[in-house]
Amino acid sequence: MLEDIQQLVLWAIPAAPLLSAIVTALLGKKVLKGRSHLPCWSALAVSFVCSLVLLFGVLPGINGTGNGYARESIVFGFEWLHVGTLEIPLQLRADSMSAIMLAMVTGVSFLVSLFGSGYMHHDPGYPRFFAAVSMFVFSMCMLVLSNNFAQLFVFWEMVGLCSYLLIGFWFHKPSAAAAAKKAFVVNRIGDFGLIMGIFLIWTNFGSIDFLHVLSSQEVISHVHTKSPHVIPLICFCLFLGAMGKSAQFPLQVWLPDAMEGPTPVSALIHAATMVTAGVYLVARCTPLFVMAPNVQMFVTAIGAATAVIAALTALTQTDLKRVLAYSTVSQLGFMFMALGCGAAGTELVTPAVTAGMFHLFTHAYFKALLFLAAGSVMHAMGDIIDMRRFSGLKHALPITHWTFLVGAAALAGVPLLAGFWSKDDILAVLYEASHSKEHGLFFGTILVIACATALLTAFYTFRAYFMTFWGPERFPEEAGDHPHEATPIMAWPLRILAVCAALIGLAVGPTHLFASYLHKTVGLTAPEAHGLHWNIMALSTVIGMAGIGFAWMFYVASPGIPVAIAKAMKPLYLVSQGKFFLDEILFVLVVLPLRGIALIATLVDRFLIDGLIDSVGALPGMLSGYLKRLQSGLVTSYAGVMWLGAVVVVVIALILT
Amino acid sequence: MPAFKELNQAAGLIIPEIILIASVCIMFLAAPFLVSEHGKTSSGLRHRWGIFAILSLLCAVYAWAGAPMTDSTAGPFISDSFAWFVRGLTLICGILLTLVLWDQADDSTAAESFACLLAILAGVNFVALSNDLVGVFLGLELVSIPTYILLYLGRNDWMAKEATIKYFLLSIFSSAFVLYGMAWLFGMVGTTNLSAISEKAAVVAPHAMMRVALMLVIAGLSFRLTAVPFHFYAPDVFQGVASSSSAMLSVLPKVVGFAALLRILPVCFGTVSLAEWEPAAPIKSILVWIAVLTMFLGNILAMRQTNVLRLLAYSSIAHAGYMMVGLVVGSSAGATSGVASLLFYVTVYGVVSIGLFALIAAAGSANRPVRATADLAGLSRTRPVIAFLMTVCLFGLSGLPPTGGFIGKLNLFLAAWSEGTQDGRILAIVLAANAVIAAAYYLRLIGVMYFEQSTTVDEPVVRPASWVAGGIAAAGSLVLFVKPQWLWDAAKAAAGILSA
Repeated sequence: MLEDIQQLVLWAIPAAPLLSAIVTALLGKKVLKGRSHLPCWSALAVSFVCSLVLLFGVLPGINGTGNGYARESIVFGFEWLHVGTLEIPLQLRADSMSAIMLAMVTGVSFLVSLFGSGYMHHDPGYPRFFAAVSMFVFSMCMLVLSNNFAQLFVFWEMVGLCSYLLIGFWFHKPSAAAAAKKAFVVNRIGDFGLIMGIFLIWTNFGSIDFLHVLSSQEVISHVHTKSPHVIPLICFCLFLGAMGKSAQFPLQVWLPDAMEGPTPVSALIHAATMVTAGVYLVARCTPLFVMAPNVQMFVTAIGAATAVIAALTALTQTDLKRVLAYSTVSQLGFMFMALGCGAAGTELVTPAVTAGMFHLFTHAYFKALLFLAAGSVMHAMGDIIDMRRFSGLKHALPITHWTFLVGAAALAGVPLLAGFWSKDDILAVLYEASHSKEHGLFFGTILVIACATALLTAFYTFRAYFMTFWGPERFPEEAGDHPHEATPIMAWPLRILAVCAALIGLAVGPTHLFASYLHKTVGLTAPEAHGLHWNIMALSTVIGMAGIGFAWMFYVASPGIPVAIAKAMKPLYLVSQGKFFLDEILFVLVVLPLRGIALIATLVDRFLIDGLIDSVGALPGMLSGYLKRLQSGLVTSYAGVMWLGAVVVVVIALILT
Repeated sequence: MPAFKELNQAAGLIIPEIILIASVCIMFLAAPFLVSEHGKTSSGLRHRWGIFAILSLLCAVYAWAGAPMTDSTAGPFISDSFAWFVRGLTLICGILLTLVLWDQADDSTAAESFACLLAILAGVNFVALSNDLVGVFLGLELVSIPTYILLYLGRNDWMAKEATIKYFLLSIFSSAFVLYGMAWLFGMVGTTNLSAISEKAAVVAPHAMMRVALMLVIAGLSFRLTAVPFHFYAPDVFQGVASSSSAMLSVLPKVVGFAALLRILPVCFGTVSLAEWEPAAPIKSILVWIAVLTMFLGNILAMRQTNVLRLLAYSSIAHAGYMMVGLVVGSSAGATSGVASLLFYVTVYGVVSIGLFALIAAAGSANRPVRATADLAGLSRTRPVIAFLMTVCLFGLSGLPPTGGFIGKLNLFLAAWSEGTQDGRILAIVLAANAVIAAAYYLRLIGVMYFEQSTTVDEPVVRPASWVAGGIAAAGSLVLFVKPQWLWDAAKAAAGILSA
């Protein structure tokens, strides 16, 4: 009975959105039309409730007794195919980490879909939007529920495909089509790494099952002693995959462009579903990364580089959604910074993963909130999102204003809000890592970069806030004579997310609820009681407040300062505004050589290969011309050839011994 | 008394076949009384005979399902899991073929057509059940002779007559090869009993005569498999006869050919179980080359065909090549069994191929059956369901997911590759290359159905039974992708690897 309930809950989480996707895709255009949101809403609600049951009911109850949640996971599935040594099962697996992810993914997606029905109203692609969103959530749930790398890869790609469909939702706009293609192609580079990593795991571990690869220390150390370079290589390859999906330097270029999609999609991609996949992959593979400290340091370094570059870029952007996009990239960098801290000592592995996952968790809420609020601004301003063209919206859009303020404060790290606790966790882990003997200097540097980035974060977030909501009231002409505040269906998700962004960190952070739950994940060690770092907290409070203060000074008190600074440091300003010219650099370093190769390949293909193929293609023609004479329709010739054939094979059989 | 007892016991092994043959007798005896001198009958007679044939097949299925899979030998018959598998396959194909024939049979000759089909099915089963060379040969002839009649009855024009005559003459010619090879075999071992041959071959050193004998048998049976260079009749005949007959010709001769080969070849190498069998050196390399040539020739010539039935004839030749891969790699040390892959593939191919022919019959209009590929243009708009089912079947034939054809090709590929020899690798690569070539013309057919405009507007003819057969085949092909394991287990049991 208990098992039945577990099975039901686990299957229902992905099945509901899948069903909704199919129903909406088939019936949306003809039958559902304006009601296309209904299947999506109900499916995501079912998934969310089931995730909560899984989180609070099933997993803690596996062992039934004691205080502990099960260290083990639950697995259900069936064998799809078993040929020789090749086994391909389709399995669903849940443990603490996936349960947390699922609750976050389905919860945020549900709120986004509520918002989306208001936002996308009157769009001709209304059913298509909800079909794709359902499919997106289904893929993400399956990714998180995978029990082996092959299945993970399949749904990793499905997530990529759905993001392509959603970013390019308005495919008639050339920029949207280009952005969708860019996202897809850049992700492909990362996927190459991922699939190489999976191949390496398959050849070295002889299995791609999570239980086999990740849960037994003996297996891992056996492989590690046999060939010490393999596991770092595997980790590097897997991280390459994560870099693509989670938009890490230098593959982050796709994410800001992904703003071309409808705003709810941006919220979905940035907060709940797609970009978190990379972080999840690295966290999930912690047992492997532990064996490769160098790769872990690489992870941290890439995270730090991404965080600071993205933050610097965000300083000068004038597009509200782009500021948020770069902040996402920057925050993902923070998560990776934390994940690599295990290199400083094995006792730091668990706190490092906890900090990374915790930031992922809180970030999902306040970033979804910020994007939806930005969407609400965009909705009111007649699809204008350039901050130079409007200001002083706080009276016109009161709900959007205060919810955006909560989100911005959470992102900036204002004490007691969600982002404060998780960012503090990351800084604390970095701080502890900087005290290790071996890599102290390295992690010390990273800590300084992280603090600087935190300052920048607070600054650019509130820059956007002040530019949008303060100052004289100005509207662009596209907005009409009077901008309208969000409708209730859009306002309520904002309110709910605002409450989450405000309280969820306080609820699960300092109380150690999150940490002690996550520690039950397979592959993580038991939690260690470690107190709050008051010094770090004080530091990050000061940093956050200073950033907000500067932003106030620059953009409210004396608006002349930024102009003066921009003039004084023109080259630096241009670098930041030009997004560090990464697109251009990648264009020269990657795209141009590839185009060159493509040109050569085209020439070779057209003249050499085509020539060969054409001659091979002419071969059947010549052959058939010859064979046609045999295929004469005359029975005697058929019989003759048969006789000849028999003679030939008999003779050959006699000659060959 | 012991003789009677033995007869009784032997009859006990062939109950499904007895049911089929009894039905055949009833049909042949009763049919003439229901037709007037001028060939006039009460209309709808074919429905009655169709129901009768289906009932008879269902009884046979019932008897088959109840029959034990354990090995037992009695008289000329051997009943083992291999025979069990072939029987099941034949009966399933038989039901589908009956449905296809149902729509196309003439009221006046319906009884004879159905009876011939049932007799052919019984013949296939007898080959699989035989423990004696004579039994194998009689089984083969029980397939051949009704086939001539069936081909003749299917269509009544000069093309059909020419095709039938061609098939008749060449089939007899090939039977002569088989019989001649069997004579050599008998001359060498002095017995026709397969178990006895196996015992002899195990102790006597291999002799050149044996190779001649086996090559003659293989050459003769290659005609049925449509292997190169014994394939020439296939395009002419497929094009000439009714599509119900083409459906039958594309599947049952292959089944019976492989059944005969798998009964005769292993015992001549002294092996008792299929699980240990692998063709010996010279014969193996000849089979490898026949397989390679068959795959390439079938696919390359299929690419240039504009007649759908001719195209499918060449595709059927190519499929024979794929199947021979499974035969050649035998069941040697590799992880995946060749024979099991072969049996799995034949099943998938059989179901899908019959389905496709059924759908082609259903897609035709009253006065213009589907002949050229252009006749399929715009089918997705005029008959969307048929176009969809046909697409599924074509996916199955080309081995694309999500169909059982994909699993079938994957098994064959793994079997060839995991054999570990150079021959195996060559076969695996040729197989993969040919799967790509083949996709070109299968996908072209799909393209014609979906992207080209229909040129003619014809009153479609309603052929419900063909629809049902096509639907079953398409569904089966999809099911075999999702749940292939049971069939794979059955195939492994039949190949003697898994005791079931």
